[in-house]
Amino acid sequence: MTAEHVVVVWLGGGPPHQDMFDMKPDAPKEIAGEFKPIGTNVPGIQVCELMPRLARNADKYTILRSVGIKSETWEHGGGQYWLTGNPRKTGVTPAYPMYGNVVAKLRPAPKDVPTFVAFGDIDNHAYGLKQNYLGPTADPIVFQPEDAKGEVKGMLVPPAGLDLSAFDRRETLRQSLDTQLRGLDDPIVGGMDKFQQTAFDLLRSPKLRDALAVEKEPLKVAERYGKNSHGRRVLAARRLVEAGVPFVYTHFESNWDHHGQNFRACKEKLPNLDKAVASLIEDLHDRGLLEKTVVMVLGEMGRTPKINKDAGRDHWGTCQSVLVAGGGFKGGCVVGATDKHAAYVTDKYYKVESFGRTIYHLLGIDPDQTLYALDNRPHRLIGEDTPLIKEALV
Amino acid sequence: MTRLWFPLAAVALLGTPDLTRAADPVEKPLFSRHVVPLFSRLGCNAGACHGSVTGQNGFRLSLFGASPSQDHAWLLREFAGRRVNPFEPEKSLLLEKATGVVSHVGGQRMAVGGRDYQLLRSWLTRGAKLDRVEDSRVTALRVSPPQQTLNLGQTYALKVEAAFADGTKEDVTDLCSFEVLDPTVAAVDVSGTVTAKGVGDTAVIVRYGYEPVVAHLVVPRAGNEPFPDVKPNNFVDQHVLAKLKRLNIHPAGLCDDATFLRRASLDVTGLPPTPDEVRRFLADKSPDKRAKKIDELLGRPGYAALWATKFSDVLKPNSFNANYGLVEPAEARRFYEWVRARVAENTPYDEFAARVLLATSRDGRTREEWVEEVMAMAEENALLEPNLAVYAKRKTLDLYWQRENATGVKGTLQVAHAFLGLRLECAQCHRHPHDVWQQDDLLSFANFFMRVKGANYPDNKTLPPKAAELMKKGPEEAKKLREEAKKLTDKAKDKSVKPDDAAKMMAEAKTLEMKARMLTEGPKRFGTEVQHNGERANFASVSSPLGTQKSEAFRLPGETQSLKFAKEDDPREAVVAWMRKPDNPYFAKAMVNRAWAHYFGRGIVDPPDHLSSLNPPSHPELLDALAKGFVENKYDLKWLHRAILNSRTYQQSARPHETAKGDRRNFASFPLRRLPAEVLLDVINQATGATEAFPPRLFLPPGARAMEVAGVTGAEDQRAALAYAFQIFGRPARNGLVQCDCERDPSPTIVQALYLANHPQLREKIAAANGRVAKLVTDVSDDVKRVEEIFLWTVGRMPSKDDLAASLEYVKASPSAQRGLEDLMWSLINTREFSLNH
Repeated sequence: MTAEHVVVVWLGGGPPHQDMFDMKPDAPKEIAGEFKPIGTNVPGIQVCELMPRLARNADKYTILRSVGIKSETWEHGGGQYWLTGNPRKTGVTPAYPMYGNVVAKLRPAPKDVPTFVAFGDIDNHAYGLKQNYLGPTADPIVFQPEDAKGEVKGMLVPPAGLDLSAFDRRETLRQSLDTQLRGLDDPIVGGMDKFQQTAFDLLRSPKLRDALAVEKEPLKVAERYGKNSHGRRVLAARRLVEAGVPFVYTHFESNWDHHGQNFRACKEKLPNLDKAVASLIEDLHDRGLLEKTVVMVLGEMGRTPKINKDAGRDHWGTCQSVLVAGGGFKGGCVVGATDKHAAYVTDKYYKVESFGRTIYHLLGIDPDQTLYALDNRPHRLIGEDTPLIKEALV
Repeated sequence: MTRLWFPLAAVALLGTPDLTRAADPVEKPLFSRHVVPLFSRLGCNAGACHGSVTGQNGFRLSLFGASPSQDHAWLLREFAGRRVNPFEPEKSLLLEKATGVVSHVGGQRMAVGGRDYQLLRSWLTRGAKLDRVEDSRVTALRVSPPQQTLNLGQTYALKVEAAFADGTKEDVTDLCSFEVLDPTVAAVDVSGTVTAKGVGDTAVIVRYGYEPVVAHLVVPRAGNEPFPDVKPNNFVDQHVLAKLKRLNIHPAGLCDDATFLRRASLDVTGLPPTPDEVRRFLADKSPDKRAKKIDELLGRPGYAALWATKFSDVLKPNSFNANYGLVEPAEARRFYEWVRARVAENTPYDEFAARVLLATSRDGRTREEWVEEVMAMAEENALLEPNLAVYAKRKTLDLYWQRENATGVKGTLQVAHAFLGLRLECAQCHRHPHDVWQQDDLLSFANFFMRVKGANYPDNKTLPPKAAELMKKGPEEAKKLREEAKKLTDKAKDKSVKPDDAAKMMAEAKTLEMKARMLTEGPKRFGTEVQHNGERANFASVSSPLGTQKSEAFRLPGETQSLKFAKEDDPREAVVAWMRKPDNPYFAKAMVNRAWAHYFGRGIVDPPDHLSSLNPPSHPELLDALAKGFVENKYDLKWLHRAILNSRTYQQSARPHETAKGDRRNFASFPLRRLPAEVLLDVINQATGATEAFPPRLFLPPGARAMEVAGVTGAEDQRAALAYAFQIFGRPARNGLVQCDCERDPSPTIVQALYLANHPQLREKIAAANGRVAKLVTDVSDDVKRVEEIFLWTVGRMPSKDDLAASLEYVKASPSAQRGLEDLMWSLINTREFSLNH
């Protein structure tokens, strides 16, 4: 079975792995930090005390602790690595595409839903979602699901007072007038016909509209995801997956770049993340969707073991933690290990390419195939041969 | 003097090559002459395989076989000799992997015992030696036959002969790779046998190792109907018709007058004709009314706005003054207005290029005069009121050089792309397999642009005293002013203050804030003074994953001779003088080809920004004639537009003759093109009677058109409906790091379809109380007239009988005339006819 959906929860910047999924309570105070680990529903796996609901769901996800970009002094840009599976920048040529763009290109969705939807600010230390070598036709539809007046949401809602029969009547008029360029056998006419048909299908179908009507979700359910815009986006992601959308991307909270006041920031962000991601995993699981939906929660890099003078942690690229669930990933699993300060990988190091290959493997997309840029330059989907992260697979 | 690669392509002489056939290479294979080209032919050293910077699975080759000695070292020394086993050649990984005997990610590349296999085994058996690489340097490569005409289904074999530096010649056909540019016309197999697949003409690119040579072929359509007797309007048609005749493809008929008027109006001015204009044009009986209309259109302001936008696409007015994004919108506006002024006054194109490329900040004035100019502009920026006419009157466009990456290698890529139609990006790291440029060509050209002082942060040493003082004291004083302003606004909010006094206080506070802003933002207008600086002795270099390269020569693209410059010489002047030579191979051609591509959706050379001997033009004589005429007419852009627009070729119908189905390359009919983003918005506004609301920092007067937006819209404007429409309809981001005409994307998408069908703003425009439909309902009472007007405003033609009947019936059945006519306009906006130029 191949995974049919993906939800990416992007933590732009570098979330502190040693305060979340790779805690080292026995390390000296200037490394261990303020928080304590708590046990999970899987013996032997611990996570931060600020994430109690994820702790109760550890049997449903895998923590990758031995992934990184092998660089201590690291500047932002890891988004380009982690979201594309290709570490080397293409330089002057357009960037590598994100997983979602590749899915949009190679495996477009059935007609009444879009293939790739992205929420919020897609420039938040993320790369590849736009201006990549696949060109704009594989770009996501980007909008804020919580913003009722948003551009795209507005386009998906048929105008007030136009019911389905009026809509169809108007469409019949258009068809009868749209005869000038018929029979021209030009690919551009064919392409526009196809896209227009899909657009009208989206407008006609209540599926996507309903999925986006987050306000229709029972209050009790909605509140489990957290009473904030980020939680609501994760909830909207779940509703879109239920409606059949193959790929949903959302960034969660602004900058996870805690050079100062790391612990204060964690106290604000981790409970929100805990609520939203745990609810997503629980709901997908309850609906039988988790086994065909890959969920990934990750940022650009890890953070320095040593806490700096501003109670912050700086950039650290040698290791980080990534949470993956569903779609063929195991539950109740930890892959790899780091040393006693969570500074270096000591077991089962995997490169970014391995991560990318594993995602494509689960989606049933050949990572060795050649795709062509707009200028016809060939690109191998994942540039380098690397092993799959087999320990994480069912 | 042109360099080696031109003769290489040109040596493709008629007749069979004179083969002084050396011994069969299988007998005595040489590594650099046979083995490396074989790697290239098999694709082993391609970027996606072992040519990758990191190699593949531990084995690396130089990209496309650029360095045989390096390849030999990697092959032999690494991996403990398992790749190459001279004692048991068949057990060498090299053979076992390539034949798939041992699992190979790249699959099986050759068969055990085949000719390729024998060659490699023979080389291994003979000791796997590296030969003298210089001896096997290619001095000439010929393909025969270089030109061939054949009928559908026919085949012929290509033969390739190489001459080497040691004086020997050899048939290298077996070692070459073959690629057909247009696979719908012909196919070629690995042995070089070409089969005609479809009507048309194309070229086969033959590669021996790194060296390319081109063979051309023509496949005429079968059938002996007489070619129609169509009269050419001008020399353009003579060339196009001559080729169609050779291919036995018939041209389309002429388009009707309404179609011509809409087509030419959109293409020349970016706006459709008004209903009155359509009626007048249709009623005009004079035989030269199309030519007169073309002249009239070229005189309209829309023409200058459209070409200012086109030039801005390649000149990219953004990223000014290094980091000072705050001044960006005003600078982009000034840049655009300067270009627009030149187009409006029809500055000869060579002079236009010179005034961009040779720009200096002083423009021949004293430094003090320039400082005055900058201080004035700084003040305008702070007040958010740029006086655009002042900058537009400058002789040269120094803002071009005030942009990030305008100089050095990155800047050179842009000059090559914008003015020469060349793509040099790949040469930053390696020689491009589809082109002839090497790193040294790029770097030696880049040296011409290393002595310009470009964008930089202002620093106190170079700032004139007046500005330096502001930079230093400004922020402190500004802080005081802001505090004062705050006190005033706080006081104004107090309920005890009379409303009149409060208003006065608020106004005073605003003035104070403006002054503060001037003090902090103002001096930021100072980038570096753009000027030639002979003291800068740095030379161009590039570092890529493949290593670092440097050149200290000044050499123009395609020339063999290097030039020398004294310190006081500005090397840019030599570039411009070279461009302005009548026989320059790129400058005029790049411009006429881009203009052609604007009107026909594809260039005579296509893609239009890829002039290269390996990318032959569809109509070489036409390209030459246009370029020659352009030069002879003193680079008069309007001459160029007239030549194309008056041609029968441009005025053809979009409906191809049945013999021309599927043809895109020979201009047998008018090609359908989706309207560019700016045009589409302006057309929607004209149809619906709306005016666009522009964000204030775009500095556009009320009633301005989307075509007049300069540069990229700033971050805070990104959320605006305008920026959104620009983005989804493919307006180029004008990213300084990407040099490609393809940045403007004409392809349709689903989001575009959604926008036209249901964007809230578009819905509002159609239904607006002061919109076109509402006005018609009040001013006109007859439904037939109303329907006609809506057709004319929206698609620029009268409704057909069927159109009229369907529309009237719909309006009658609607709850109100207003609603019915709104739906009619919606329907027309969502037709193919509306969003395509046809």
